[in-house]
Amino acid sequence: MSYSDSLDLAISNVKQQTTLMQRCLQHGRLMDALKHSSALLTELRNPHLLPKQYYELYILVFDALSALSAYLVDSGNVSGDNNGSDASASASAAAAATHLADLYELVQYAGNVVPRLYLMITVGTSYLRVPGAPREEILKDMLEMCRGVQNPMRGLFLRYYLSQRTKQLLVEGDTPEALEFNCQFLIANFIEMNKMWVRLQHQGPLREREQRAKERRELQILVGAQIVRLSQLVDNNVEIYAAEILPVVLAQVVQCRDVLCQEYLYDVVCQVFPDEFHLRTLDTLLQTTLQLNAQTSVARIVLTLVDRLNGYVQRLRDNDSDAHIPATVFDTFWEHLTKLNEERPDLGLMEITGIVRGLMTLSLTWYPDNLQNIDKLLGLAAQKCNDEGGAERDPESVPRLVELLAAPDASEGEVDARNDAQQISHNLASATYYYGVITQCPSFIELLVLLDAGAQVKVVARIIECFVSVQAEKPATLQIESKDQLERLLRVVEPLVKSGAKQDTVTGQLAQEQLAKFCHLIAACLPASREYSTVEKRMEALLMLKNVYHRGGRGIRHTYPAIITCMWREIRRCAVYEVRIRGKRDYYRNLNKQTFKYVARCISDLFNVCCGASSDGSSSAAATDLVYKLNLASAALADELSLEEIAYNFFSEAFAVFEDSLSDARSQWQALVSMAQTLQKTRSLHVENYYSNLAVRTTLHGSKLLRKQDQCRAVYACSHLWWATEIAAIGEEEGRTETFFREGKRVLECLQRSLRAADSLMDNVESCELMVEILNVCLYYFIHGEEQTTHVGVGYINGLIELVKTNLRSLQMEQEQEQEQANANGNGATVAPRYVMALDGTYVQVPESNNASSAATQTKLKDISINEMVRVPVEHFQRTCTYIENQRDIDARFQTVVL
Amino acid sequence: MLVLAIGDAYIPSRAIDIPAKFKKLLSIPDKISHVAVLGNSADSPEFLRFLNNVSSNITMVRGDFDTQSYRIEVPGQTTGSNEFIDKNIPLTAIIKEGEFKIGCCSGSTIVPKSDPLSLLSLARQLDVDIMLWGGTHNVEAYTLEEKFFVNPGSCTGAFSTDWPIMGRQTKNDTETEELGKDVKDMKLEEKNNSEEKTKDAAKETGEAEKSKEEDTKDDENVKEDTKKEENTKESKEDSKKPEEETETKTIEEADIDISELEISGSNVPSFCLLDTQGSTCTLYIYMFIDGEVKVDKVTYTKPSEDEQ
Repeated sequence: MSYSDSLDLAISNVKQQTTLMQRCLQHGRLMDALKHSSALLTELRNPHLLPKQYYELYILVFDALSALSAYLVDSGNVSGDNNGSDASASASAAAAATHLADLYELVQYAGNVVPRLYLMITVGTSYLRVPGAPREEILKDMLEMCRGVQNPMRGLFLRYYLSQRTKQLLVEGDTPEALEFNCQFLIANFIEMNKMWVRLQHQGPLREREQRAKERRELQILVGAQIVRLSQLVDNNVEIYAAEILPVVLAQVVQCRDVLCQEYLYDVVCQVFPDEFHLRTLDTLLQTTLQLNAQTSVARIVLTLVDRLNGYVQRLRDNDSDAHIPATVFDTFWEHLTKLNEERPDLGLMEITGIVRGLMTLSLTWYPDNLQNIDKLLGLAAQKCNDEGGAERDPESVPRLVELLAAPDASEGEVDARNDAQQISHNLASATYYYGVITQCPSFIELLVLLDAGAQVKVVARIIECFVSVQAEKPATLQIESKDQLERLLRVVEPLVKSGAKQDTVTGQLAQEQLAKFCHLIAACLPASREYSTVEKRMEALLMLKNVYHRGGRGIRHTYPAIITCMWREIRRCAVYEVRIRGKRDYYRNLNKQTFKYVARCISDLFNVCCGASSDGSSSAAATDLVYKLNLASAALADELSLEEIAYNFFSEAFAVFEDSLSDARSQWQALVSMAQTLQKTRSLHVENYYSNLAVRTTLHGSKLLRKQDQCRAVYACSHLWWATEIAAIGEEEGRTETFFREGKRVLECLQRSLRAADSLMDNVESCELMVEILNVCLYYFIHGEEQTTHVGVGYINGLIELVKTNLRSLQMEQEQEQEQANANGNGATVAPRYVMALDGTYVQVPESNNASSAATQTKLKDISINEMVRVPVEHFQRTCTYIENQRDIDARFQTVVL
Repeated sequence: MLVLAIGDAYIPSRAIDIPAKFKKLLSIPDKISHVAVLGNSADSPEFLRFLNNVSSNITMVRGDFDTQSYRIEVPGQTTGSNEFIDKNIPLTAIIKEGEFKIGCCSGSTIVPKSDPLSLLSLARQLDVDIMLWGGTHNVEAYTLEEKFFVNPGSCTGAFSTDWPIMGRQTKNDTETEELGKDVKDMKLEEKNNSEEKTKDAAKETGEAEKSKEEDTKDDENVKEDTKKEENTKESKEDSKKPEEETETKTIEEADIDISELEISGSNVPSFCLLDTQGSTCTLYIYMFIDGEVKVDKVTYTKPSEDEQ
């Protein structure tokens, strides 16, 4: 008899033989049935089948043999049932036993070894069912006979068949002896299977190694099933597990020196036996890993164990919050890791840090408050990193090291699945962890500095992001209780600071943004700490921060404004204390003066570093503008606190920047308008002629601007410097407050000067528009008071209106000619775009379509026609006239305005 | 569709971020058709990305701390990945939304700062119905000369160097205070806040209606409008401060509870949404008070063309 050529043929043959066999069984022709079973079993001899195909066939065979087995068992029992008495029952049992014993001998004569052994096991296991059968002998015999098949795949399946068939039929009884025997039986079978499984790797040509490994993976379940059977057998008898099973299994694992086997079996052992067993045998499990094949991933094994045990401790806590947590688990792992690190210098950074990562999660799960463990682990990683000559040697390990520093728990990948509340509590836990590690674990920095700059930035950015996100939910996250803690924090952010010195890209800017936010974060957390409960102390902290940020080179353009803001905040606080704390008024006043000096220092640092010739043009101009504005803002703040001297200094500093460094015409005009705006709101400067000095100077600069239109607009804006308006916050009120600083004569001078500039402009469209703008400013003052105070009377306004009208008429003449031309060309029908002129003299097209917007940044538009341009002042003037007409109903004085 | 008016974020120079609840509110897709950014909000690439997600239709004007241009991430045309382009930031811009022309400016070039008559003059120059401006960090909305003026305040409640909106105690004020008083004050303030908001909204709406009928031009009216926003809180608080001079116990810095508003000189974080339907514009004012978002509503109706 021979096996079929293909799987399909084999299957149909098995099916056919099965049917024949069953028919024979129905007719009680056992011998013929055995012949047919032998025939179908022949198919299992085929050496060309792949594991999957063999398995498919095996299932069919198993079912067929089950029918045979059932028949054998029944035939024994049927004879017993016919006679009712006990005596005959035992007699028939004896007869059945004899019958099966005979059969057991008989099947040994089958021609081929594979069919023979399958039949033997089938008969043998049926025999086992008969009461009083010599179980131990039969079992031993079957185990022994199985040695007859040494081909790995066929042998594996045969032994798998043995273990399946004997599942319920091992030695009975709860006696230790029975258990012992059964264990030995399973272990013996397992050992043989494992050997064959390992041997499978070495069959066939070398180049098919990969293919072999794949096949072995497909077969591994057969071996694993033996361990599962063992675990079912021992139930929760940890003694026998620790004494009999684990040592034998591990000995096999070590002896076979096979990577696949070692990793797989460790995995199975970890998965199938209870957690308590692992805790009990942790030492053995770990120590054995030291003897494994060099290629076997110890990290993987350790991580599997850690996962198991983490799940265990979580279940323990869920069930009983007071559960006793074994205290030495981490220490056992740690001991193992240090030993491994010593004994296996061949293990790479990747491997060691993989274990470190696993132990970190272990420590965080089991002993969340113990940061000493984390420090040890990071220290070991740092040492390994050093030994290997830095992380650069092994670029693959960099993400792992980043993970060690930045990922406090393993569930990081599940972020998406979390809801908001979970996310918040998770962030909070992370922030607490980071802060703890930063302030208590020196190894954190040690390892951080070993990374390359990019990786450092990644870690730090992540940590700051976490702090910042938590700050939004729960203020004062970081309890900075000492200068030492603050120093440690600052050391951590240093990599990010330094990264700012190099790049001015968006990524660089993002890093600087993180730093600015970090500054706010620190400043927000400080007041809650005892150490930093006073303004003086907090200023000390801010200066420390400033010194660190200063190393960021031009990056300070993004970080210093945040520091300055924090200082401004301290200044406002200090001002409140000045008022409220008795007897320390001078102290707080001086403290504030000092703080303003620090602000000035920051601003001048900014100027020195960012506005120098070394930096490129546009960023230097932007920085100069920033310096100018920071001076103005600080001046405003000082003025509000009646620190006139300081306010004046900041203003003059702003002027110095304006005069020396602001060269762009556009920004000059804006700078002057900002100056006028800020100055107009000051109240403390009316000593020592400070105010008038500054106001005159602003106006003078305005009138000296390069372009006439800028002059005109700057000077009419400056007219407001001589016309203070109410600041409601300090109780001023138009009509009631008597002490407003107002000099109408100066107002009028400004307007006249502004008008002269408008008049001398060459472009008469813009000249007209400027005059309409001035007219509107005049109306502002007209509303504000009578001629004797404002000096802007109805006569002046009427004169201006007349001037505008004359100019517009000549403009319109130009426009009409064009109009005729346009009509003659037949283009009159198209709707011309409309424009208005913006504050800075740019033409802005009025959007016609819905949801559109427009804005212009150029003063000259190329495609604007003269007609469209002329309409700008004309329509602006019309709107102004409508306004005047409307005002006549409310203010009789407007009736004297002639339109 | 809605227009979002937002400004003075000052991220990261003066604030960490806008309140998370604001972010959540604004993260509803396809509701907001236009974002008007009123200055000082272009420094944070992260915040710009957020705004861009609200609506890619962004109109930005330059605040005093803004640079000439800002950098924004756009889908690359040649390459598959995103690229960054620099966009100029103009001083003024005009948006057309339904029947409304909306002018935008940061307020940094308005002298005197935030002056209603000056703003009116600008609205006239730009020929707009609604004027959005910023720079004060204090949400305001009023109708003047049939035009609607809206300042969405600062969306982060950023520090302001202007005169503090809360009003500062002058030096003549009490030098020492009972410790318990602060707590009492806080409570009062809280109560006032909620009452005031509803009242304010009602008043404001009334004001908007009223000013439509009787044309107003004089300062008094202007002032009333602005003052209401700024001062109600302050005046109420002031009137309740008893003058006590007898305490002898030394008070330390930690004993004094200073409210955030007093330090930042800014009002609470806020932004506005404008909903235009025909000739009516409904303004929703969102404010972040004590960890909660409060909403006020003000309506403005544009006068029909023939009335003008």
